[in-house]
Amino acid sequence: MACIELTHISKQFRKYFALDDVSFQVNDKEFFVLFGPTGAGKTTVLKTIAGIESPDEGNVKIDNEIVNLIEPAYRNVSMVFENYALYPHFSVYDNIASPMRSPLHKTDEETIHKEVHRTAAMLKIEHLLDRLPSQISNGQKQRVAIGRCLVRKPNVFLMDEPLAHLDAKLRHFMRAELKEMQANFDTTTIYVTHDYLEALSLGNRIAVINRGQIEQIGTANEVYYTPVNQFTARLFGEPEINIFGIELIECENGPKIKMLNNEHFFDLEPDVVKVLSEQNVHDLNLGIRGTCISYSFAKEEDNFFDGTVYSLEPIGNKSILIVDIDGERIRIIAPNDLHAELDSPIFLKFDLKKALFFDRTSEEFIIRHNQAHYIGGLI
Amino acid sequence: MQAGLINSDTNFSKKPFLVKARPYLIMTPALLITIGILYPFFTAIFYSLTNYSFRATTFRFVGLKNWTQMFMEPEFWHAILVTGKYALATTGSEMLLGLGIALLLSKESKFTRLLRVLLIFPLMIAPVIATIIWQLMTNNSVGILEKFLNLFGVYNFPWASSAKTALLTATLIDVWVYAPFVILLILAGLQSLPKSPFEAAKIDGGSAWFTFRTLTLPMLKPFMYIALIFRLMASLQEFAIIFALTKGGPGNTLMNLSITGYTTGFAYLKFGESLPYVLTLWLIIYLISRKLVAKWLLVQKTAGGN
Amino acid sequence: MNAKIRRTSVSVVRNTLLTLYALFALFPIFWMVLITFKSDSEMYTTTFLFHPTLHNYKEVLLRTDYFQAFLDNIIVSSGAVLVSVLVGVPAAYALARYKFKGKEDLAFTILSFKFAPEILVILPLFMVYQALGIYDTYFGLIWVYQLITMPLLIWVVRGYFEDINVEIEQAAQLDGYPWHSVFLKILLPLIKPGLVAAGLLAFIFAWNSFTFPLLLSGFRIETVTVASLKYIASDTVHYGQMAVAATVAALPEVILALLIQKHLVRGLSFGAVKG
Repeated sequence: MACIELTHISKQFRKYFALDDVSFQVNDKEFFVLFGPTGAGKTTVLKTIAGIESPDEGNVKIDNEIVNLIEPAYRNVSMVFENYALYPHFSVYDNIASPMRSPLHKTDEETIHKEVHRTAAMLKIEHLLDRLPSQISNGQKQRVAIGRCLVRKPNVFLMDEPLAHLDAKLRHFMRAELKEMQANFDTTTIYVTHDYLEALSLGNRIAVINRGQIEQIGTANEVYYTPVNQFTARLFGEPEINIFGIELIECENGPKIKMLNNEHFFDLEPDVVKVLSEQNVHDLNLGIRGTCISYSFAKEEDNFFDGTVYSLEPIGNKSILIVDIDGERIRIIAPNDLHAELDSPIFLKFDLKKALFFDRTSEEFIIRHNQAHYIGGLI
Repeated sequence: MQAGLINSDTNFSKKPFLVKARPYLIMTPALLITIGILYPFFTAIFYSLTNYSFRATTFRFVGLKNWTQMFMEPEFWHAILVTGKYALATTGSEMLLGLGIALLLSKESKFTRLLRVLLIFPLMIAPVIATIIWQLMTNNSVGILEKFLNLFGVYNFPWASSAKTALLTATLIDVWVYAPFVILLILAGLQSLPKSPFEAAKIDGGSAWFTFRTLTLPMLKPFMYIALIFRLMASLQEFAIIFALTKGGPGNTLMNLSITGYTTGFAYLKFGESLPYVLTLWLIIYLISRKLVAKWLLVQKTAGGN
Repeated sequence: MNAKIRRTSVSVVRNTLLTLYALFALFPIFWMVLITFKSDSEMYTTTFLFHPTLHNYKEVLLRTDYFQAFLDNIIVSSGAVLVSVLVGVPAAYALARYKFKGKEDLAFTILSFKFAPEILVILPLFMVYQALGIYDTYFGLIWVYQLITMPLLIWVVRGYFEDINVEIEQAAQLDGYPWHSVFLKILLPLIKPGLVAAGLLAFIFAWNSFTFPLLLSGFRIETVTVASLKYIASDTVHYGQMAVAATVAALPEVILALLIQKHLVRGLSFGAVKG
C-alpha cells in the first residue's frame, strides 16, 4: 500500500528519449492504467518505478520517499513481466513460491504452501504446479508470472501487459478476476496495456503515453469523451474516430460550420461557440465517433451528407460501415444485419452534440458540447 | 511490518559509487592476471634492445642492433619462409579436408552420428603425443605404416628424417590433430543453416553444385572464417609438433620463427637476440588476425541478413 | 529407378570416403593402444596377432616417475582451471551484463592472449620467473596456464550469461534477492552445464600444453607432455613403453571429451559459434 509519484523523469537510450519529462502521481490503492502504443515507453516507466532502470533525470517517490538510489530488491514492489521472466530451472510451484523464499521476505514453508495453492487456484493453474516453464503454454506461463507477482503483499503491483498472450475469452475472464483481486488486496496497481478496452474497463485513471511523453491522465470518461488531442482520440474506440477539416463561417447570428461536400451551414451549441470565439481559432478539425453517426438510404434532410458505400464489415454483433464522402472515409457503426451494395449511395447524419473540436494545426482538443459532464468521477 | 524501505537519512552517499564501481571490482582479479601476463610482453620489447645473454653476467643496452642484425641474417628470412609454408600447407589442407568431411557428415545417419562423436579424439590429444604416435607408426623398424608401405614395395620411407619429406610429415600430423576442429565448426554451421532458401532452390530447380556455390558457401562463410582465423593464427606459431618431431631439422628445414626464437634463446643462450624473432612473429600474427577478424565481422553481417 | 541408383551410389561413395577418413583419424589411436600390450620381443615380428602383456605398463608406471608426471599434470591443469573459474566467471558476468568504459577493449585483450605466440611470452617470463623464484613451481605454471584457460573460460561463459534473458535476473531482484543471491541461486544453476563443459575443455587444453612446462619447469615438475618426449629422445627400443607413455597421456582427455560433446563447438570457438 503506497502512493507512487514520478517527477520529471527522463531517460535516454543512446540518441532517443525513452522517457521525456514524465510526471504523474498514483494514489494509494488506486488501479492506475498506463496506456499507449508499442514503444511508447510504458515498460520503461514500470522498470523505473521498480528500480530496474535508473532515470537520467527526475525522481521516483514511493510513499513520499525518494527511492532513486534504492535497489529493486528493497523497494518492495512486485512485477509481472511481459515476457514472463520465469525461472527456467524452477517448477511452477517454485516460481510462484520464490518471492517468499528470498532472503528479504522469508516465510515458513507451510504458509508458502498455502499461499501458492491459493494463488494457483485463483489463476486456474493448480494442476501445473509440478511442471517446468518449458512444459507449459504461453498463456499458462503468463498466469504463473501473474501468480508470482500476486503472492506477496508489496507496496505496489506493476503489471506489464499481463493478459497480452491469453485468448480473448480467457482475457475477458482474467480482466474481471484481476479487478476483483486488486480490490480485495487493497494494493496500489500500475497496469500497462496497449488494448484500449482493457484500459477503459480496468483503470480508475488512465495515463496515455506516446513516445516517452504523457499525453493525458484522466478517468475513462475523460480520455474517451474529452481526449487531449487527436492522437489520444484515435487510440480509443472502435471504429477509429473520424477526424476531418471543417470551415468556420461567420454569420449574423454567430459562427456556423461547413463540412465535407455539404453546402448546409451547421449550427453549433452555445457553449461550443463561446469557447471557439474566446480562443479565436480559425482552422478547425472535427472529430466524431462512429457511434454518433446515423445513416439512411434516402436524403431525408438538407443536413444529410451524400456518400457512397465503401465497405461493410460485419464483426459479430455489429458491423463497421465505411462511407466515402467526397474522398473522405467515414467509419460508422451499423447493425450486423445491414445489407448495402458497394458503391451504392447512402446518406449520413452527424450528431454534432457529440462532436469534438480540434485545432487543425496543433491537433489539440478545444471543446465539445457539455464538456463538464464528462470530467471527473469514476466510471 | 515495515514496507522494507530504507530511510533516506541512511548513508547513501556511499551507495552510488559502490554500485558504479561494481563491475570494476568484479573484474579486478581478472585484471590482475591480465596485467601479470602483459608484463612479460613489455619486458620482451625491452630485452630485445639489449644484448642479454645467459652466458654473461651483465648486459647492456644495444639499441636496435639485434633487430637490424636479424633482418640481415639469412636464417631470419628462411624462418619467415618456413613459417609461411607450414601455415599455408596445414591451414590450407585442414580447410579443404574439413569442408569436404563436414559436407559428407551433414547427412543424418547412424554412421554419421557416430562418426561425429569419434572424430573428436585426435583433436583432444596433445600435439606432442600425436607426434609420438605418428613417429611410432612411421618407425622404420616397427611402425605399422612402414609395414603397410612395404606391401607396395616402399621401404624405409624417410618421413621426418629427410629434408624433402619433413614438411609433409609435420603437415600430416598437424592435419591429423586439427582437421576435426574445422570439421566441427563447419558442421555446426551447416546444421544451423535455415531450410527455406534450400527448399526454394529445389523448387526452382538448381543443380546441387549451383546450390552449393550460391547458397551454402556464402552462408557458411562466417564459420569458415572462424576456423580459418583460429587455425592460421595457431599454425603460424606452431612449436610443439615441430619441436617434438625434429626440433627444427633436418638441418633447418622446419625452423619457423617460433623454433628459431627458441633455439637462439635457449640453445645458443643469446637471449636478447632471440626476442626480435618472436616479436616479429607476434607482429605478423597481430596484423593478419586484425584483418581477418574485421573481415569476419563483415561476413557475419551479410551472411546473416539473407 | 535412375534416381534411386544415383542416390544409392552417392551414398556408397559418401560412406566410403567417410570410412577412409575415420580410419585415418582413429586407426593411429587404436594401433597405439594395441602395441602397449606388445612385448619388445614381438614388436618387430608381429602386427596384429601377438601375446598381450602388461609388462610395458608395469615398466612405465611403476619403475619410472612417469606416473608422477601424470599427477603433476592433474595438479597443474586442475589448479589452472580452478583459478580461471573463480576469477573468470565473475569477469564473464561483468562483461555480459554491465556497461563500463573500456569493456570491449578489455575483453579483446583477454581474447588476444589466445593468439599470442607462446614462445613470445615464455622467453621473458623465463627470466621473470627465475627472478621471482617461481620457476619450476606449481604456482608459476598455474599462473602462466591462465594464458590458456582464462580467455576460453571468460569468453565462453560470457556467451552463456548473455543467453540468459536479463529479465530473469530483474525478476529475481524484485522477488527480494540481493545481487549476490541472484548470482548464486539463479544464474549459476542455469549456466552450470555450459560452465562445466568450458571448464573441462580448458582442462584439456591445459593438459595438452607443451611449451610452458617445457621451458618454465622441468626438474621438480614435469608434465606428461614433456615427460613423454624423454621416451623418444632416450633413443630406446622400448617402443611398447613409448606407446604406454602416449596412451596414459592421451587417455584422460579422450574420456573428458566424451562428456562435453554438446558444448564442444561453442567452447572450441570461444563462443563465436553456438553449435
